[in-house]
Amino acid sequence: MKSIKGLFDHTVLIVDDEITNREMLANILADEYKVIMASDGKEALEKIREYGSRLSLVLLDLLMPNMSGFDVLKELKEKGISSEIPVIVLTSEKSSEIESLHLGAADFLTKPYDLPEVILARVRHSIELFENARLIHATQYDKLTGFYNPKYFFEFASQFDERYPAEKMDALVINFTRFHLLNELNGQEFGDKVLNAMADGIRGVLIRNRGIAARRDSDVFYVYVTHLEDYGIFIDAMKTAFSPLLKGSEIRLRLGAYFDSDRSHTIKERFDHALQACNSIRNKGGNNGEEICIYDKEMIEKDKFDAHLLHDFEAALEQKQFKVNYQPKFNIKGDKPVLCSCEALIRWIHPELGFVRPDLFIPLFEENGLVTILDRYVWEESARQIRKWKEELGVTIPVSVNVSRVDLADPDMTNFITKIVKENGLSPKDYMLEVTESAYTDNQKHIIEVVKNLRSLGHKVEMDDFGSGYSSLNMLTSMPIDALKMDKAFIRNIKPGNKDMKLVELVLEIAKSLEVPVVAEGVETEDEYKMLKAAGCDIIQGYYFSKPIPPEEMEKFV
Amino acid sequence: MINIEKLQAFGADTQTGLARCMNKEDFYLKLIGMGLKETRFEELGTALEAKNLEKAFELCHSLKGVIGNLALDPLYKEICEMTELLRAKTDTDYTGIYKKIMDMRAELLAM
Repeated sequence: MKSIKGLFDHTVLIVDDEITNREMLANILADEYKVIMASDGKEALEKIREYGSRLSLVLLDLLMPNMSGFDVLKELKEKGISSEIPVIVLTSEKSSEIESLHLGAADFLTKPYDLPEVILARVRHSIELFENARLIHATQYDKLTGFYNPKYFFEFASQFDERYPAEKMDALVINFTRFHLLNELNGQEFGDKVLNAMADGIRGVLIRNRGIAARRDSDVFYVYVTHLEDYGIFIDAMKTAFSPLLKGSEIRLRLGAYFDSDRSHTIKERFDHALQACNSIRNKGGNNGEEICIYDKEMIEKDKFDAHLLHDFEAALEQKQFKVNYQPKFNIKGDKPVLCSCEALIRWIHPELGFVRPDLFIPLFEENGLVTILDRYVWEESARQIRKWKEELGVTIPVSVNVSRVDLADPDMTNFITKIVKENGLSPKDYMLEVTESAYTDNQKHIIEVVKNLRSLGHKVEMDDFGSGYSSLNMLTSMPIDALKMDKAFIRNIKPGNKDMKLVELVLEIAKSLEVPVVAEGVETEDEYKMLKAAGCDIIQGYYFSKPIPPEEMEKFV
Repeated sequence: MINIEKLQAFGADTQTGLARCMNKEDFYLKLIGMGLKETRFEELGTALEAKNLEKAFELCHSLKGVIGNLALDPLYKEICEMTELLRAKTDTDYTGIYKKIMDMRAELLAM
C-alpha cells in the first residue's frame, strides 16, 4: 500500500559501488521517492552534507572501495546525523549487522534483495519512525534545556507513580526570582545561558538520583525525584553551574518542595503545593538566604482557609457580608485640615470567621478573577454612597475606588463606571480611581490607554502604592495621573533629617515637578503629620485622622 | 539476443530477478548486460594470479552481490563458493572454479 504524499517530498540516497545494484534499487524506489545516488563513502558524505535535513533516508552498502559503509556510519554517528536521518544498511553478511547497529544503523536489507514490496515497506517504516520520533522530540522536549515540556513531564510522572506506587517521591519547583531582569539587563542570549546553567545543575543532581525535570514559563523548573533529605544539593549544583556567569549576589534561587509519602494528592496537586511553597519565599521577601521552603502544615491550613473563603464568596455577596468602609483624606495645605475625599475600602464580616482581613482575601480573589466581581460591588456601593451623602448631608464627598490589574484588562470596565456614575447623578470628577503602581508595569501601553480614556471622561486617577514597586522615574513622565499616593512604607520610620525623611522629600519634589499632588498614606502620629505638612505634602490619609469608617460616621468630618 | 527463455534455460530464477526489476523485462535484461560486463570478472583473475586473496575476496564479494540480485543462480552459486573460500583465505588452486565462473559468464554474454 502506498502512503499519501503528505507535505514533504522524500529523498533517498542510495550508496553502492555497483551500478547494477544502485539502478535496481532506484527503480524500486522511483515511484515513491526522489532518488539520488553515490558510488562510494566519500561521495555519500558530500551528498549528505549537501542535502542535510531534506534527506529522508540513506541506503548504505557496507563493502565499498575508498571509504567503506562502516566508516560512513562512524562519521554520521560522531556528527549526530544518524540520529536525524535513518540509515538502512545493505548487506549479505549476518555478522555485519551487530556492528552496524552499534554504529547507528536503523535497519538492514539483505543481498540478494528481497522483493520490492518488502524493501518499500522497510524504507517507508524507517522514514515514518524517524519522522514521528523527530515530531515527538520537538513536542516532548524543551528546546533550550532538553528537559521535558510540562505536559509530557506530568504524563511520565503519572506513569512512574502507577508503576512504582511505593516509591517515596518529592515534587520540587525551582525558580530564579525576577529572572526577567537578567534578560533586560544582559540580553536574552545571556538569559538563555543562565537557564541552561540551571538545567545543568539540576541534571547533575538527577544523574545521581532517580528523577525527571521539566521547564515551565521561562524560569520555572519542575523536578520529580526520589525523596531527598536535603534539597540544598540542587541549589549548590546550580550555583556551581552559574559561577562563570553570575556573581553570588546576583543569584536569586528559590526552591519549593512537597513531599507526599502516601501520595494522597494527584501529581498536579503536589506540584501546585510545591509551587505555593516556592512562591511563599518570594512573598516573605526572599533574598535573605531563604532559598528553600517545604510545603508544611501552615500552608495546608492556609490552603484550607483559602478554599473556605472561595467557597463562601458567592453567599457573602448575596448576604451583604462585604461592607464598604471609607477612610477620609484631608487636605493639609491650609491652616486647618479639610476633608477633601475618601477611599473606599472593603471589609468582610464573615458569619463564622468574623472579620477577615482584606490582605487575606484580595490576593486570593485576584488570582482567580473573582476580584472583578468584588470590585464592581465596591464601585457600585461607593457611587450610591456619594449620592446618599449628597442627599443626607448636602455635600459631595468624592470617593476613590481601587482598580486592580485584572479590572484593567476588562474591556467593559470604563463603560461600567460611566454607567454607575450616570445612574447616581454624579460628576465624574467626584468619582476617582486608584491604580496600583505595579499594575502600570504589567502592560503599560494598554493601561496608559485605559487611564487616558478615564481622565478624558473627567475622572481623576491616583497612582496607588507609589514607591512599592519597580516603576522607574522615567516611566512616571509617560503616565497620565492626577495624584501620587506615597506608599506607607515611606512614612513608617521618618524622623527629622533622617534618610527616610529625605526620601519622602525627594518624592514630594518629583511630584512637584510633575505638578501632581501627593497623598501620604498610613499617617499615624502627630509628628508624622507635622513633618509631612512642613515638607509640603498636600493630602494625608491615615489613623492619625481616622481609620476607615462606616458611611454613617462620615458626618462628623463634614 | 538474450531473453527470458534463454536465461531460464541457463537456470536463472527469472521470476525473482524480474520481480526485483518491478517486472520490467527490458530493464532486467539491461541490468544483466551491465552486470556481466563488469570488469571485476577480469580483475578477479588478475588478483588470483597475483595471489592477492584479500583483493580477490573484495572483488568476488562485489560480484556475488550483483549476480545474486540478477538471480543468475548457477553463476551466483559458483561465486558464493569462491567468496567463502577467499573469505577463509583458503590456500588452494582457484583456476578451476574461476574458469567455471568465466565460462558461465561467456555463455551468458553469448546469448
